[in-house]
Amino acid sequence: MEELIQFRNVKKSYQIGEKQFNALDGVDFSINRGEFVVILGPSGAGKSTLLNLLGGMDQTTSGEIIVGGEKISDYDEEQLTVYRAERIGFIFQFYNILPTLTVLENVELINDIVKKPKPAMEILKDVGLAEHASKFPNQLSGGEQQRVSIARAIAKNPLLLLCDEPTGALDSKTGVEVLKLLKKQCEGKEDGNTVIIVTHNALIAEVADRVIRLKNGKIVSNEKNEAPKAIEEVTW
Amino acid sequence: MLRKKMFRDIRQNLSQFITIFLMVWLGVLAYAGIRSYMDGMTTTAEVFYRENNLQDLNAVGTGFTDEEMTEIRAMDGVKAAERKLTLLATMVSEKDLTLQVNFIESNEIAQLYVFEGAEFDADNDGIWLDRFYAQNNDLKVGDTITLKYGDLELTREIAALVNVPDHVYDIKDESAIFPDHKDYGFCYLSAKELPETMRVFSTCMIDVEEKKQVAEVKTAIEEQIESVIVVTKAEDSTSYAVYQGEVEEGETYVGVFSGLFLFIAMLSVVTTMTRVVKKQRIQIGTLKALGFSKKKITRHYVGYGFWISLAAAITGLIAGALIIGNLFMSMEMAVFQIPNGAPAVKVKSLVVAACVVLIVCLVTWLTCRKELKESPAETLRTKKIKVNKETLAITTKGVFGKLGFASKWNLRDILRNKLRTFMGVAGITGCCLLLVCALGMYDSIQSFIGWQFDDLYNFEYKLSLDAACTEEEYNQLTADYGTASSMMLGIEVEQGNEKEANTAFVTDAGDYVRVTDHDREFITMKDDGVYITEKLAKLEGYELGDTVRWHVFGSDTWYESEIVGFDRDPQNQNLKMTRKYAESIGVIYQPDTLYTNADLSEVKALAGVELIQNVETLKTGMQSMVSAMTTMVVLISVVAAVLGCVIIYNLGILSFTEKQYQFATLKVLGFAEKRIRKIYVLQNNWLTIVSAILGAPLGYLMTNFIFTMALSDAYDFSADIGVLSYVLAIAGTFVVSLAMSKGLAKKVRKIDMVTSLKGNE
Ligand SMILES: Nc1ncnc2c1ncn2[C@@H]1O[C@H](COP(=O)(O)OP(=O)(O)OP(=O)(O)O)[C@@H](O)[C@H]1O
Ligand SMILES: [Mg+2]
Repeated sequence: MEELIQFRNVKKSYQIGEKQFNALDGVDFSINRGEFVVILGPSGAGKSTLLNLLGGMDQTTSGEIIVGGEKISDYDEEQLTVYRAERIGFIFQFYNILPTLTVLENVELINDIVKKPKPAMEILKDVGLAEHASKFPNQLSGGEQQRVSIARAIAKNPLLLLCDEPTGALDSKTGVEVLKLLKKQCEGKEDGNTVIIVTHNALIAEVADRVIRLKNGKIVSNEKNEAPKAIEEVTW
Repeated sequence: MLRKKMFRDIRQNLSQFITIFLMVWLGVLAYAGIRSYMDGMTTTAEVFYRENNLQDLNAVGTGFTDEEMTEIRAMDGVKAAERKLTLLATMVSEKDLTLQVNFIESNEIAQLYVFEGAEFDADNDGIWLDRFYAQNNDLKVGDTITLKYGDLELTREIAALVNVPDHVYDIKDESAIFPDHKDYGFCYLSAKELPETMRVFSTCMIDVEEKKQVAEVKTAIEEQIESVIVVTKAEDSTSYAVYQGEVEEGETYVGVFSGLFLFIAMLSVVTTMTRVVKKQRIQIGTLKALGFSKKKITRHYVGYGFWISLAAAITGLIAGALIIGNLFMSMEMAVFQIPNGAPAVKVKSLVVAACVVLIVCLVTWLTCRKELKESPAETLRTKKIKVNKETLAITTKGVFGKLGFASKWNLRDILRNKLRTFMGVAGITGCCLLLVCALGMYDSIQSFIGWQFDDLYNFEYKLSLDAACTEEEYNQLTADYGTASSMMLGIEVEQGNEKEANTAFVTDAGDYVRVTDHDREFITMKDDGVYITEKLAKLEGYELGDTVRWHVFGSDTWYESEIVGFDRDPQNQNLKMTRKYAESIGVIYQPDTLYTNADLSEVKALAGVELIQNVETLKTGMQSMVSAMTTMVVLISVVAAVLGCVIIYNLGILSFTEKQYQFATLKVLGFAEKRIRKIYVLQNNWLTIVSAILGAPLGYLMTNFIFTMALSDAYDFSADIGVLSYVLAIAGTFVVSLAMSKGLAKKVRKIDMVTSLKGNE
């Protein structure tokens, strides 16, 4: 399989007072296309930092990030904006949907930035929110809100679906449903999306195609999971 | 501990607190300053009139005899009466200066206020001289001056420099717009200095026992005293009326402006204070979680508003009186001759200042209370945006449903923040209103000048004839310069049981002096009745076809005239008639003015003519008044712009903090910065458009209000604002508003996606 993502000696440091703190300290790894990847690590390990760099929300201190053959670590602000708009779907722990737009409008928002988005209503049907289309976000449950955020992310048909603790604020049952939805994105189709999930929940790792472990800004392990479990089998 | 926190907070939010201080200070300064000036004007005059016993009535006659004086003094209600002989003499010097010389026998009424020198004494042969005149001509007590009147020459020492309550405002003749204290002044001498044969006292000043007896005494004197021509109230004298007019004119527009400033200043304070408290919400939550009582926390925050606004209000009050009050007073006191002119701080200013402090406290309290209502846990979390389905429901349907994302988002943002939107609109509207008003005042004055000097005055030169102009001289003048002439009659009009003094303009000037109707269209006057100015007619309730009864001062012949039309005159509300009509009812036509288009620029004097005036000179005199207006226009505009900026900036910051998180999300989704900035600016543009739509007509109304209310009854002109002024004012508003919102939109770049989104956790 082709290597979609490559991190080469990526460093991200923050200046804290006089000292320099490395949130990522020379990270090297690669991910193949269509994989369902879980990044594991304790709090403060640098998981979000890694995801933010990959998503073009932040810039590296040194090192290279290559996505689909393009060295995005060299991109400027403008190129990163286009990169985010066209390639990346983000899903956050706290959903980050616009509170004054309805469910449908939140998804349709994508029409403004992507040339050929998937039809919003169809996606809402896929994520099981068709009947809530005209509601405002604060009239939905947490799981439903997270599904809106997923719908918005996949409406772009992004190359990468980046999820930072997508199940963090959800109970086990709804969390499983959200995971199923995410897993579906990289299955079946030829051009399946690559899904990367950041979590400190080790149980989720069992369903992944690849598990990357992070600690103190360094990769501890990067393993391919030869026999991922079915999602139904996990609970927490 | 909390006190320590307060000082630290103030240091941390220094710019906001300075804004609050400055806004309160400026608002109070403007208001209290101008008030102290207006109150100073009133009080100063009141004191002067009372202490120096301004006369209640002036009787003008052919010469009051000793017997008549005794008779007047014996009348019911008369406290004192003194007679006076007034003549215009020349003061002998390099340049011929005119002095109005008053000869008096005693000085109980209209007492001289002595600045330097001796009190009045009938046995002193000195001259009590106009103080301003003396200053302008470098004359001092003890100097000797020579007065010439016909064959009479008096050389006397200056006994004192004085002010007199009935010489507060003195101009030589109507051609002078401002008093000229160098070429014209007044002086007083003892009547004993005059040869016995010349002592013909044509004026009698009367002091009544009680104010309410004035009308009664007036009639009594008019009826019983043989030599009386007319008795007028002191309030109708030019000196009194012009000063009073100045005060009243000031009262209105000054009231409107300072009130508006205060309002906008308060609006900016309110927005700033809200900003400060909002910024402190996490701290409020912490304090609460620590167990501080609501009361204590509220007191702590209200304390901010209280101390700052109190300090600003007190210093503003003092600085207002000292700076603005004194500035305006000294300007006025250079024109009006009143001793001890000083600004006065009255209770009203104190009350307003106290109200300002109170409002600031109230606003702080309200904002604080809102934050305190939430549980500490809730407050500690960053504000989650609450969405009320009901209010937003309409925006999901119909036309709204078809709007683009930016419009929808902004529309709902407005609906969710009604108060903030209202404050923003009020602030920008105020800004636009002030700009329209500032430019509109200038326009209206120009329009007035055009009306008076281009429309009504259709001549190049105006020749005021000498009272002593002989028939021969007159014939020569008409032969040389044409026969366009007019006569101004001093008349009294019957009003129920009262008689009102007014003037009647009798014209034989043809097209040289034109008359305009309601819409400023020219009227050709008919010869079968009188015309009355629209404003006067409205005031007195005259209808077309009504009859007015009037007589000329000094004559007992009453005329009854039918009103055949209404005209409009910007600065004279009186009666007008043609010569033909006047003669048809028996009025003798004796022209006092000639009008001509001949070029008289080289002619200095003409036999039988007292004064030659060029219409352009008259116009220029008016223009000099306009230049003062221009300064004010600039001042108002700058203040309007500054206040507008503060309000827009505050509201911008407030809304930006709230929107920051949403903008970060949009950024993550891949919205380009420019797009996000556009979304942000869009709302401000809408509000500015609404504000301009509101502000422009309100600006017109305010200008109109100023001109109709502030100017005395003699004037009749309303706001006349050119399209260009509206365009400029609206453009100015947009520039201010756009500059602020574009500036704020720059902050979009600074939004760091990573930290902004983290902030939500
Ligand atoms: N803006 C910043 N300035 C300084 N240090 C930072 C900044 N952002 C992150 N860090 C530090 O970088 C390290 C990695 O942070 P990161 O958010 O990537 O952790 P994480 O693995 O996502 O943890 P968690 O599971 O708690 O979300 C942390 O130790 C954090 O303190
Ligand atoms: Mg994290």
